[in-house]
Amino acid sequence: MFQIIKNEWRFLVRSRIFLGISIAFISIMLLSVFLGNYQTQKQAQTHQNAKDHVRQQWVSIDEMNPHSAAHYGTFIFKPSNLLSNLDEGVNSVTGNVLRVEGHVQNEIVHSEASQMQAVSRFGKLKPSLLLQYIVPLLLVFLASNSISNEKQSGRLKLLVLQGAKPLQIILAKTLSVWLYGVVLLSLILFVYGILNLQSLTADILARTSLFFLSYCLYYFIISGLTVFFSARWQNATLALTSMLGIWIMWTIFLPNILMSSVEKWHELPSRNEFQTAMKEDRSKGLDGHNPTDKRSLALKEKVLKEYGVDSVSQLPINFDGMRMQADEDYGNSVWDKHFGSNRNVLQKQKQSFQLGGIVNPFISLQNTSMGFMASDNLHHQEFLLQVENYRRVFIKMLNDKQTFGGSKTGNWGWKIDNAFFKSVPDFDYKPTQISAVLSNYMLDVILMIVWTILVVLLIVFGTKKIKIV
Amino acid sequence: MRNLTIFLYEWKHFVGSPFKIVAVLLFILASIYGLHNGADLYKKQNAEIERINKEAETKIETTLSYFENNQKGPENRPWIDVTSPFWALWHTPTYHFKKPSPALVYNIGQTEQYGFYKAIGTSSSPYDADMTNEISNPERIQSGTLDFSFVILFLLPLLLLVLLYNIKGQEAEHGFLPLVFVQTGSKNWWLLSRTAFYTLLLLLVLFGVMLYGAMLTNVFDSEHVFGNIFLWVTLYLFFWVIIYFLILKYGKNTVSNTLQMIGVWLLFAFIIPATVQQWITIEKPTNLMVDLIDVSRDTKSEINAQSIQKIDAQLFELYPNLKNTKVAKENITTSGIRGLSTDALINVEMKNATKTIEEENESKNKLISKTYWFNPITYFQNKLNQLSNTHYNDYETYRNTIQKSVDKRNKIMVFDVWNDIKVNKEKYLEYITTLSNNE
Repeated sequence: MFQIIKNEWRFLVRSRIFLGISIAFISIMLLSVFLGNYQTQKQAQTHQNAKDHVRQQWVSIDEMNPHSAAHYGTFIFKPSNLLSNLDEGVNSVTGNVLRVEGHVQNEIVHSEASQMQAVSRFGKLKPSLLLQYIVPLLLVFLASNSISNEKQSGRLKLLVLQGAKPLQIILAKTLSVWLYGVVLLSLILFVYGILNLQSLTADILARTSLFFLSYCLYYFIISGLTVFFSARWQNATLALTSMLGIWIMWTIFLPNILMSSVEKWHELPSRNEFQTAMKEDRSKGLDGHNPTDKRSLALKEKVLKEYGVDSVSQLPINFDGMRMQADEDYGNSVWDKHFGSNRNVLQKQKQSFQLGGIVNPFISLQNTSMGFMASDNLHHQEFLLQVENYRRVFIKMLNDKQTFGGSKTGNWGWKIDNAFFKSVPDFDYKPTQISAVLSNYMLDVILMIVWTILVVLLIVFGTKKIKIV
Repeated sequence: MRNLTIFLYEWKHFVGSPFKIVAVLLFILASIYGLHNGADLYKKQNAEIERINKEAETKIETTLSYFENNQKGPENRPWIDVTSPFWALWHTPTYHFKKPSPALVYNIGQTEQYGFYKAIGTSSSPYDADMTNEISNPERIQSGTLDFSFVILFLLPLLLLVLLYNIKGQEAEHGFLPLVFVQTGSKNWWLLSRTAFYTLLLLLVLFGVMLYGAMLTNVFDSEHVFGNIFLWVTLYLFFWVIIYFLILKYGKNTVSNTLQMIGVWLLFAFIIPATVQQWITIEKPTNLMVDLIDVSRDTKSEINAQSIQKIDAQLFELYPNLKNTKVAKENITTSGIRGLSTDALINVEMKNATKTIEEENESKNKLISKTYWFNPITYFQNKLNQLSNTHYNDYETYRNTIQKSVDKRNKIMVFDVWNDIKVNKEKYLEYITTLSNNE
């Protein structure tokens, strides 16, 4: 079998057309890695400048009332990700800027896609675009005539006469075509690794290995299926057109239809509906800016009792800050409920979409590709959650300062100095570790393994009775 | 006559090829699915607009009841006084909508990148958070909706490929190409007639599905929309027919022709647009709107911290007629009046900041437009976006309308506060009429 693979490669390398296509394609692939890297560096620089600018503004606050500072707030910019060089996922359509302030949880805004007219329906020239759409096509073209040509030229008969088993030949052909895909994939990852050598971490290596694995599986499915068709059908054209049909269905048609459908099956609320529901739930709680609110009065009574005093003016603390924090705590529970519900819907959509991998391994590949490259919706949601957790800590620090910092209730003119603002930590994004989210992609990986086994079985049992002439 | 015979004979070729029939049927199914997706979005947006309008009506009725019952506002919010211009305007719900075009059935375009309704206040900006896209699954937005334009732009060339790929190649492989040429006289006319058959077949299919789409929304209510979109779809079809015809004319065999056809498709559908987008983002990285952030916080604080004299001078520059108001004439120096007027000054600064952003976006769009000559799919996509009012420029126009509404609201606020207007029911109704007029 090894000899057949070796021979196949020898033939491939001798073919001028194949060499020409390969060189052109490798050049585009390398260009995609270089451009992706350059873009990430440039975006990272813009991000860092914006981050520093906003932080500088915060630490330069001379003196300010802590609650005014909560309204002044800060801004978080979605960091660019080194892994998104390989697969950008949802990054170009999600927002990049999130305002962090008191009383409200804002939405992430200013996506890249909203800042220009439409350009590419399939995203930027990232390696994932080439690896997902173009490489499989190359494999189809390579494999479509692999057996039929041997049949037509009579070489297949010769090989069988020399002692090679048809199954061995078909598997060897599959592996040789598959290897071509693996070589291209390895080349991209190698160049990517070289360019980012200093930034490589264990997590990035683990993610890249899983990325590599998922593509290897998909390429095997494509190569195996095409060689199978080539063996079963009488001519290469039929094998090629059949596989092209499958490729169109798998990559262009089904993912789009399924994605549109899952959003209908598990519907998300409109923004207005969502905000109305949030507002209604919040109105049932405590209003931090309304001292005459019933719940505020109840909280006041409780605090007065705790401190054993008759009025807020006798309190050693600032009750306004405490009321603001109670308002925040209630708001947080409302947010948890409504955003939690949205996250559940998104999770259901994702799970339904993942099941599409049963009929279409490309769906599994897409999921794992952006998932392992930390650029899917799950990672985006993780980022949003980190920002919200930071917001809670940030606002609590300000409210606590208002409460326990030395001011009295009603003293809104009281200000805290610059040292305090400097002590408020900046948002520190912790990239999600693959070990924490790996289980979310197990279904995709399993489905691709099942597909691989099915293709092997198809080759083993489906080619038993092939005509060798 | 001979060409007509070839043309009609192709029908027999077509019906004798189940592969091609299935491909056409799949294309029709995909088109219908895409049309329904567009129509669903059109209906969804209209329903949402109707729901928001109803919600606004309820709010207006509540505020009107305050005037009718001599109340100043809700009982649990004693600080609200709807007889003051500030609170009356606060309680005048004004929404600006980007009403969906019936042509959305054909092309969703950039609709899902932006919001289509906006609540206007004196401190609103066209770049507020509610101007972003609706709550949706970003993975779906990223992969795009399978609408009719997707079917046209990406699947139509593939269908054409399926219909044409074996023309000439098959005859060459079977060895009777010279015979065909002898029988038909001209190989170019033979090829052209066969290609023309499929072109006509596709035109009929496209016309049929587009007519079906027109029944889903009120496409014929908008003048020339159907005709214009059909014209551009036809031009797009011809674009691909010419390319494939040339490949067939100079091609040697089926496999090589198929490879070339799919190669061109990959180049135009994937490689070129993706490279252009990559280049644009390198050339002009995503704007993180730092200028807007600065205005919304620091400039705002600076304006609010100014002396009354400075605020007055800036307000008089903005609104020269303000000098004729009661507050100006009587030289009333209440800081509260200025506090209610500074939103107008902040609005000016916000407009300056957004102008820079729009200019930067415009330069990106110009760069993209410059690539049209070698980036045809992006060109046709944006052409369709323009025809269905879902282009970036349509949303820019929408943002401009919003900005005008914010300007108008601020002007009313400043003048009514400076004229010490007491708002009653009639005045409140006047606010509603004036502010709901988008012109």
